[in-house]
Amino acid sequence: MPVPLLVELIFVLVIFAVVQAYAPERTLLAGTVLGAGAAALLAVNYQALLSLEFWVGLIGFVAILSALLVVIHPNPMVSILFLIVNLFCIALFYLILQAQFLAAIQIIIYAGAIMVLFVFVVMLLNLKAEVGLRLTAAPQRWGAILLGTAFVALLFHAIRGRLDEAYIEAGMFDSAFGAARGLGGLLFSKYLFAFEAASLLLIAAMIGAVVLAKRKVR
Amino acid sequence: MDRIVAQVLVESAVKIALFFFVILTAVAYMTLVERRVSAWIQDRLGPNRVGPFGLLQPLADGIKFLFKEEITPPHVYRPVYLLAPLLIFVPALVTFSVIPIGPAVELHGHRVRLQIADVDNGVLVILALSAMGVYGVALAGWSSNSKYSLMGGLRSSAQLISYELAMGLSIVGVLMAAGSLRLNDIVERQAEHGWNILWQLPGFLIFLTAAFAETNRLPFDLPEAEAELVAGYHTEYSGLRFSMFYMAEYVNMITASALATTLYCGGYHVPGLHLLGLPPLAAALVQVLAFCLKVGFFLFVYVWVRWTLPRFRYDQLMNLGWKMLLPAALLHVMWVSFIVLMDWS
Amino acid sequence: MRIEFFLLIAALLFAIGCVGVLIRRNAIVILMCIELMLNAVNLTFVAFAHENQSMTGQVFVFFVMTVAAAEAAVGLAIVIALFRRRLTTDVEDASLMRW
Repeated sequence: MPVPLLVELIFVLVIFAVVQAYAPERTLLAGTVLGAGAAALLAVNYQALLSLEFWVGLIGFVAILSALLVVIHPNPMVSILFLIVNLFCIALFYLILQAQFLAAIQIIIYAGAIMVLFVFVVMLLNLKAEVGLRLTAAPQRWGAILLGTAFVALLFHAIRGRLDEAYIEAGMFDSAFGAARGLGGLLFSKYLFAFEAASLLLIAAMIGAVVLAKRKVR
Repeated sequence: MDRIVAQVLVESAVKIALFFFVILTAVAYMTLVERRVSAWIQDRLGPNRVGPFGLLQPLADGIKFLFKEEITPPHVYRPVYLLAPLLIFVPALVTFSVIPIGPAVELHGHRVRLQIADVDNGVLVILALSAMGVYGVALAGWSSNSKYSLMGGLRSSAQLISYELAMGLSIVGVLMAAGSLRLNDIVERQAEHGWNILWQLPGFLIFLTAAFAETNRLPFDLPEAEAELVAGYHTEYSGLRFSMFYMAEYVNMITASALATTLYCGGYHVPGLHLLGLPPLAAALVQVLAFCLKVGFFLFVYVWVRWTLPRFRYDQLMNLGWKMLLPAALLHVMWVSFIVLMDWS
Repeated sequence: MRIEFFLLIAALLFAIGCVGVLIRRNAIVILMCIELMLNAVNLTFVAFAHENQSMTGQVFVFFVMTVAAAEAAVGLAIVIALFRRRLTTDVEDASLMRW
């Protein structure tokens, strides 16, 4: 039963967060409690470890938690680290969804190049943690949260209302799907124009970035 | 539990434990090898007092590091400060999971691959992990909250990402020849058609230069040289955490050497082994030994180059990476694609 | 394992990114939330590609990643250029042309 196990693990995580919040010095104690609790739960329900639902649920939980922390953490560098965790979770999702090439490309490009760019900029500008998280003005803030919640509710309703029942089972699909060969074949035949246009876009972006960030030589 | 799943898990666990143990021992002895070979090049004796030929020296060094006082400066950002050495160490070790050290052998009726994970895009895994290694350096520099560390981290990570490109392009040449991203396919292709180093020499030299830069070894070790920026990104680290950086450098060296052998020097292939007619288990052992010897040769080249070439200045380093290696790698890719198209290889 | 699960997670990530863009004032964090939204869209594409067994979804993800890389590079260059002048990454401070 994967869902109850997930709920129990989240409960243990919440206890860890509470202990950490109330006794910041006793990190070791909190960590031990977390580790022992998680280990005990996993030992009791080890059958759930084999079900795909459990892992997808766990990775999804980590992805959403890290996304929330990206948005609310005051230190920009720590936001970047949480975004990297999120990108890793999404790469794992790609692996589950039979997009092996895209998973590797996600890590190489997103987590390995774009995020390094962000880290460089934060280090160059020497950005410190914001003293007292600065958010936009109250009307915009609450409006955003309200509309965001409404948006999520709308999307959930739309997704739940799908008429076709699509099930994924292991071993149901072609193993060459999602490999580099298929993607490359499509890129160079059917989507060749888009491919060349993307390369043009990258050159324009490269030139733009170099020109914009260059120090003006007096 | 499913029988096959249990079998795969046990097999992988045994392989991982074995690889881990062997690599860490190799790292320990690499420190000794480096000191002895450096001494030989410099016409002096290296450490030879602790144990026969100094073979227990790494043990003594390890014990010394364990007893060193670990000072954590109060001004560092602790969570990231503690995480950074792991971020350098772990990707280098994990890269070994896709490198094949020998052919598949038959043990008790099971076909065992001498490789932890035979994924279809092994080369992409290697590129992804080398991209991850940049974070350890940048975050170590940032979290130490000191000017020297920040500058050192920035310089070092800029160097790493500059040479990643040239390395990737030189690997593309190998990929085009093999037609597959699987490392086993690359090794098998070299077994059939001759080692890649024979007809892709420029690519090999580019890969080796980029590997030197990626592992922060001389002549590219400006970020951690003694006279520069105190000690660069690992200024504020001491004791066990510093030794993690030190070990991570050696693990990176071993990984880069293993990659150079797999991609360009035929991996575990021994030319002419099938003529000897050995039983398959003995042949596999000979091939594993050949792999280790090739990796050892590249490690020797690492130490050799260290004491042969002077250090590059930072702007010379970036110049080399962007203005010389990258165009050379692009030309190499064009040349290899021409050869592959004409079926001359 | 239903594909709806991935679609729901992607929808949640997209909404979190959206709210992040509207809430935060640090330009770099806003760019990161945009990346979050792009990733959520990529996840949706890959989920649908898997459901319909069509590689077109994955090709599109490839292009979205390319565009995201280009946009992140140029966006960060703009942030650096702005920072040089005003020494702040706060978007509320870039209010010269506000009415």
